[in-house]
Amino acid sequence: MFLEMKDIKKHFGEGESYVEVLKGIDLSVEKGEFCVLLGPSGSGKSTLLNIIGGIDRADGGSITISGEKTEDMNDKKLTEYRRKHLGYIFQMYNLIPNLTVRENIEVGAYLSDNPLDVDELLNTLGLAGHERKLPNQLSGGQQQRCAIGRAIVKNPDILLCDEPTGALDYKTSKEILKLIETVNEKYKNTIIMVTHNDAIKNMADRVVKLRDGQIRSNEKIQHKLKAEELEW
Amino acid sequence: MKNPLNKRILREIKDDFGKYAVIFLLMLFTISFISGFLVADGSMIKAYNDSFEKYNVENGHFATENEIKKLQKRNIEENEIVINKQYYVEQHLENEGIIRIYKNRKSVNRVCLMEGKFPEGKNEIAIDRMFADNRNLKVGQTIQTDEETWKITGLVALPDYSCLFADNNDTMFDAVNFGVAVVSDEAFQTFDKDHMTFVYAWKYNKEPENEIREKEVSEDLMDALNSEVTLTEFVPRFQNQAIIFTGDDMGGDRAGVIVIFYIIIVIMAFVFGITSTNTIEKEANVIGTLRASGYTRKELILHYMYTPLLVTLISAILGNILGYTVMKHVCAAMYYGSYSLTTYVTVWNGEAFLLTTVMPIVLMMLINFLILYKKMRLSPLKFIRRDLSENKRKKAMNLNPAMKFFARFRLRVIFQNSWNYVVMVIGIFFANVMLFFGLMMPSVLDNYQDRITESMICKYQYMLNMPVSKMDDTYKLKTMFHALTFEREVETENEDAEKFSAYTLKTTDESAMLEDVLIYGIEKNSKYINLKLGDDDFYISSAYAQKFGIKKGDQVTLKEKYDKDTYTYTVTGIYDYDDAICAFMTRPELNREFNLGEGMFGGYFSNSEITDVDSKYIGTVIDKTALTKVSRQLTVSMGGIMKLISGFAVIIYIILIYLLSKLIIEKNAHAISMAKILGYKKLEIARLYVIPTSLVVVLAVVCSVPIVDELVKIIWMAMLKSMLPGYLPYLVSVDVYVKVIALGIMGYALVALLELVKIGKVPMDMALKNVE
Repeated sequence: MFLEMKDIKKHFGEGESYVEVLKGIDLSVEKGEFCVLLGPSGSGKSTLLNIIGGIDRADGGSITISGEKTEDMNDKKLTEYRRKHLGYIFQMYNLIPNLTVRENIEVGAYLSDNPLDVDELLNTLGLAGHERKLPNQLSGGQQQRCAIGRAIVKNPDILLCDEPTGALDYKTSKEILKLIETVNEKYKNTIIMVTHNDAIKNMADRVVKLRDGQIRSNEKIQHKLKAEELEW
Repeated sequence: MKNPLNKRILREIKDDFGKYAVIFLLMLFTISFISGFLVADGSMIKAYNDSFEKYNVENGHFATENEIKKLQKRNIEENEIVINKQYYVEQHLENEGIIRIYKNRKSVNRVCLMEGKFPEGKNEIAIDRMFADNRNLKVGQTIQTDEETWKITGLVALPDYSCLFADNNDTMFDAVNFGVAVVSDEAFQTFDKDHMTFVYAWKYNKEPENEIREKEVSEDLMDALNSEVTLTEFVPRFQNQAIIFTGDDMGGDRAGVIVIFYIIIVIMAFVFGITSTNTIEKEANVIGTLRASGYTRKELILHYMYTPLLVTLISAILGNILGYTVMKHVCAAMYYGSYSLTTYVTVWNGEAFLLTTVMPIVLMMLINFLILYKKMRLSPLKFIRRDLSENKRKKAMNLNPAMKFFARFRLRVIFQNSWNYVVMVIGIFFANVMLFFGLMMPSVLDNYQDRITESMICKYQYMLNMPVSKMDDTYKLKTMFHALTFEREVETENEDAEKFSAYTLKTTDESAMLEDVLIYGIEKNSKYINLKLGDDDFYISSAYAQKFGIKKGDQVTLKEKYDKDTYTYTVTGIYDYDDAICAFMTRPELNREFNLGEGMFGGYFSNSEITDVDSKYIGTVIDKTALTKVSRQLTVSMGGIMKLISGFAVIIYIILIYLLSKLIIEKNAHAISMAKILGYKKLEIARLYVIPTSLVVVLAVVCSVPIVDELVKIIWMAMLKSMLPGYLPYLVSVDVYVKVIALGIMGYALVALLELVKIGKVPMDMALKNVE
């Protein structure tokens, strides 16, 4: 198994404000799999994603990625792990405002010894012709494309997406989902996407539903839809 | 692959050009000034030291009553010296002042021509460059003395008058009322020998190997001269203030200037640190994303350090170029304003380079690294969530709900920007120290000059002078005879006159500049000095007590000026006299202590001029002009730099407040935008965001004044002790305090206007848009 989580626990706050967010999560994801984490607000899906991404630490349990255990890593090792294996996409695009589209993507490329070709990626992203524009000259969808480009240019093993379409309209959301699908097919990255959009589960290989910090269902999808076929 | 983040640096500077331009200009000006100062200082000191050989400066000089005959010259030169005529005449200038005129020198004390040409004709003259500057005289103009009209052909520097001391006994030089000049041989020949002073400079055939040996040799020489001629003056070079004062004094203000420089650089480093912190807060989610993507802390810290380092590096390089080219002349002019120095050649100054280039970069690097390191310790998740508080406190500080909303809001702005305000207060404090110092000095000098008439012992103090020739250690009887003659010849009929005896010793406190202490032996019932002294009493002047921190009951040790003998006295009281460093004993006791002879006296106190004593017996007249010599000279030589310091302080003050208040507005731009959407008017928003800064600034300005006052007083006293002879009491007029506060508030008013404009420019859609 490429990604394996065992008994992941996490809490926030102390005393009266103590909240157990994850109550022992066991989950395995295969390489190249498109996994969607579904659940209502407060279910713990983003926390789980952050723990997988090494930007938050679990209270207990273990995560193994390609045989490497993240709980044994110190901050420096975790940074190295993120640099080597992970790409991140957030709901907010978090682009660098005074760098162009190409340069924002190069920010990701810098982290890899073997990055993807930026020109080819710009074409894939549908940003060819926009590469010299600054983020504030782009639409929301284009900005998210750029953020996706920044995340995948280093060709990460895992692409972590936290509500990537949360700030976008229907049409643009579908375009972004199509792009993520293309990326998954073309570069064979494992994708873990957090969303509260129920429709997105239909394009995934695996759908994990969370509620109150526990997995309610973990389903392998046999007949997945294309992104463009999704409706909500 | 180069880090693409670095492409942001120049864009960052371009996007916030105003802020970086202001910081750059301030650093450029500071570095160029300091670099120029250090280069000029080093070059000047080198020029001064080299001038001894270059212009063949004398080893000493003596004056005689009559011109030396050939045989006498031969006998004198048998003492392993060569003597050289340096005759002069003194002429009074039509608008006060004296000019001492020499024949142009060809061998010893050769003259340095600074501008124009040497005089050739009968009525041509080349005058001292600094004297000319102080009296606004130019080449081609004429000067009128009581005897002649002279055409100025050149401006010169005489290496034996780098400091324009008219008399070696003077406490301070006076480059406004005393100058030196050279004329052609032809012109000099026209002078009446009766009005001439016969001065001879000597050069040793073999220079003594050290100062102690030089002193011994010069003492032997004085004995030898005394047996050959009638001496009226004998001044070895190591005692000649006109030559050595400059060397002793130059470089004295160096330490102070360097300290001010570092304070400014440290403040600027903190400004940069706060700027970077604000940028980090603004870009928190970008940083979080980058950290989540695998960027290391080190990479991001380095990235945010590049801009301040780049600005510092460019400021340092350009500052040094400006320092070596432009500011060097400005700083050299400051030296030329105080001393009559010869020309100098710029010399490479490695220390200046280190202090003005390497050190600012190191300081900037260190301070910014520490600030950024602390900030970057937060986890990527905290950055993504924009939760940048480093402490655990999650709740807002409790403020009394009874307090008005606006007041609570303002307090929160202050708490939120506490670091900005801390740096602002520190900056205001240092700017005020400089401003206060710049404004205080003219005030202290003015007050001293205004008060001196009231505090003087009497209108005229005549210090009598027994010619050197009449003092003879070898022939005591001869000296006694001369003393009797002297006493008879200096008696006066003036009823105001009251005799005193006097003896000068030197201080021994190595932590301060060694200076003369004049000990008065006064009459028991003196009408000029309100003291009832007993035989064991030793009073010191309040000036002496305050300058050296001496209290009643303390012991003071003084030493002979040219000998190793020391004297220790217990201070029995302090006499309220701020004009001079002096002490008081009874006349018989002083005469006994220093073996001057019973009934002997050395001068007169008088409220009216004494006209019936031959001027050759009057060494010095201490009147208002003499007592204000130090303050007048300081006004001339330091007036310019004090204005410069004040101006510089105001600029630093305005820039600092501008930068920090700009940061506060920028930090709150989102909230300001939201307030506008909610319907707050521009003035209401200004009341929320400008008034907190106004409160901090006004409080900082007002509260810093008494602290600054105390600090400047300490600096002033330290300066007096280490650099200036005599005493200038620290009396600052009220208007200085008012000016410091007014300039502070006015400077801030200007900044507040800019803040208002900035608030007006915050767009309403900022709060609605995505941060990108």
